[in-house]
Amino acid sequence: MTSTESHKRHSLIQPFRAYETALSTLGRLHIIPQSSSKLSLNATFKTSLRHAITGGGASSSFGVPAEGDSRHPSPSIETLDAFALERWETILHYMVSSGAGRNPTRPSQGVLFLLQRSGLMSGVQNSSLQITSLGFQFLLHTPHAQLWELLLQYLYMAEERQMDLVEVLSFLFMLSTMELGRDYSVEHLSPTQVAMLEDLRDYGIIWQRRPQSKRFSPTRLATTLTSSSPPLPTASGGGSQGQNQGFIILETNYRLYAYTDNPLQTAVLNLFVSLKSRFPNLVVGSITRESVKKALANGITADQIISYLTTHAHPQMRKNKPLLPVTVQDQIRLWELEKNRVKSQEGYLYTAFASQADYEYVLNYAKQLDVVLWESSSRRCFFGSLEGHPNIRGFIERRTAGNA
Amino acid sequence: MDKACHLSVVLDLSPTQWHLSAQPTNPHPLSLSAFLSQLLAFLNAHIACKDENSLAVFGALPGKSVLLYASSERYREDGLEAADANTYRPFKIMDSIVMKSIQDQVDALGLPEEEEPIGLVGALTKSLCYINRVTNPGSSSGTSRSDDAAVLPDPRILIVTVSPDQSPSYIPIMNSIFSAQKLKVTMDVCKLFGSDSVFLQQAAHLTGGSYINIERPDGALQYLMMSFLPPPGIRQLIAVPTQDKIDFRAACFCHKNIIDIGFVCSVCLSSEIPIALISMLVFTAHIHLSSLLSTSTRMFYLPHEVPYKDTSTIECCTTSSSGCTASYSCCTTPYTSRRGVTPAYTCEHASEIHKYNRRDPSTGKQWCDAQWHACGSAVVGDPQYQYHHA
Repeated sequence: MTSTESHKRHSLIQPFRAYETALSTLGRLHIIPQSSSKLSLNATFKTSLRHAITGGGASSSFGVPAEGDSRHPSPSIETLDAFALERWETILHYMVSSGAGRNPTRPSQGVLFLLQRSGLMSGVQNSSLQITSLGFQFLLHTPHAQLWELLLQYLYMAEERQMDLVEVLSFLFMLSTMELGRDYSVEHLSPTQVAMLEDLRDYGIIWQRRPQSKRFSPTRLATTLTSSSPPLPTASGGGSQGQNQGFIILETNYRLYAYTDNPLQTAVLNLFVSLKSRFPNLVVGSITRESVKKALANGITADQIISYLTTHAHPQMRKNKPLLPVTVQDQIRLWELEKNRVKSQEGYLYTAFASQADYEYVLNYAKQLDVVLWESSSRRCFFGSLEGHPNIRGFIERRTAGNA
Repeated sequence: MDKACHLSVVLDLSPTQWHLSAQPTNPHPLSLSAFLSQLLAFLNAHIACKDENSLAVFGALPGKSVLLYASSERYREDGLEAADANTYRPFKIMDSIVMKSIQDQVDALGLPEEEEPIGLVGALTKSLCYINRVTNPGSSSGTSRSDDAAVLPDPRILIVTVSPDQSPSYIPIMNSIFSAQKLKVTMDVCKLFGSDSVFLQQAAHLTGGSYINIERPDGALQYLMMSFLPPPGIRQLIAVPTQDKIDFRAACFCHKNIIDIGFVCSVCLSSEIPIALISMLVFTAHIHLSSLLSTSTRMFYLPHEVPYKDTSTIECCTTSSSGCTASYSCCTTPYTSRRGVTPAYTCEHASEIHKYNRRDPSTGKQWCDAQWHACGSAVVGDPQYQYHHA
């Protein structure tokens, strides 16, 4: 009886907590103003929502479509996808190969600046940008997460560039509601938004025939901003269709087969796999202690490696339960623990005490403060943490002054 | 609640009923066009909830059922209005396609067709098939939007109905309910006009959905938004009205009438009474039950008043105001009792079946009796049958 009751209570608490979380989220977004007695939507939000659902209004919040142009028909969806893919992979490829000393195509200056500002890459001059540990972690994220990470960074930057954040945000949301394969007019955009066009074109989010063109088309990167469908349909497909979900087969003997001909994916794999041989559509390598340690040294965590392998696992692998061989997973984690064996902590070593009694007296005091990290009574020294130092020092000084 | 959900709307498009509903003599008249504008706003809201949400609209017309709109299909842009900066494009496409297909279907209706029964069952089964297709994408469905099975985990059906129950469709509706239960589909019912629907009440109850008989049909949008918009996953957070009273009556298999008391064959549980067996029937339903038995106490004696000898006619018993809507019986009584099969007495309130097999101590012959048990506070009785005495 008690177990059913507690179970019932538990199942009641869960929804309640979810309800509270939802309310507080809405409150923080100012969709529901804080009020103790009643819940009611923000008036502006309410009107706009009603407009959006029933249609009408004059806010032009879904983008003004451009007039049809017989000389330049709208680009096909394939063109847009190819464009977005090319731009996006250029950025990622530049990042991944910057450490290897090769010289891939450089993305535009704006992108480089953004990468540098976001801490994904660092360098004194633009010519020698180096990928940082944050950048390595970034590479293992899903395209969707990567896109939003860059856009959030862009928003921070927009603030510094004296751009109106509201306009920037509303333009991003407008892009996400636009229709793929349709032209939109530039004329109704505010100056801030026109300025954004150039940046977004560099990221592959929108397509324009010429930089001065009066029309633009959103690519799939833009239209999937607020959805969870894959933003780059052919991004990880290795050129062939139907494989866009996964291409990696991992065996219990740590060997890894990746069915891909995409240089970007090979380069990303190279971060934590030692590649052995390469075929037109297949890369073979193995996960070794050295390769994982190299990745860990770059700031990539074991969990990131495992989640990358999981999300890109070949459909053939999906039959396995668990998906990845347990031995390999455990070993990657153990290698990470190995690295984390030594922990450093700043502090002071107290030594050369005059007598054993002195030593014990100070040590006792330090122990009372709970700042002793290590002690050795045979050598009459102990190591105290940084924050305990002023107290211990004062104590010793007072004591020596009292003795003198 | 982070998952996408699928909504299939089954829309009752009976011209007669909508005409009646729009009569100004009603306390709250509602015409089809007025309701459609409300429904479209609701559908827009469903699409707006999440980008991956999918939608299918089925129409139940007299004598047929059609798919009016499905979000997985690609529609050609020719007939559609031009894009407009103030309307979200998917809304516009959906709205105009739904309106256009309804227009086409209604125009195609001839006058004589209007009297045919509404194709509600067809629409219901089509929507179940559709859900089955999108939730289990086979290898062939390459164009479907559902990339993997996890994309559409939360399917539900909303039935918007104005027509009264058609008792002949009892069996197909029950079968649809069972398939919906198997597919984990929630069925919501919105009754806009007319008296309560017995079968759809049961459908909503059995699939965990909600049945609402709208008091003010002119404000239907409010009901739709507050009760039918949240997907089943969120309904533990947002309280959705449920029924406090459910009509569990069934329709008999022989005459398709909705009955309070019926006879269930204990062997097949669902058989109709074969005509050839009529003469052999030892006990059948009583003719005058509705006049004789107006209270549940009289029901206590019901079996004793049932004629044991064969009767030339068979009718279903109907009692009003019974405390328990139990159905019992044995259509092939002489056979089954001779073979030692016990008639089963079921009470759907308690959903239990009590069976007793006894042997007559004097003769050693087997005889059956059954005990009806209490439903709520009303003790229904303990009728006894001794078939082989007949």
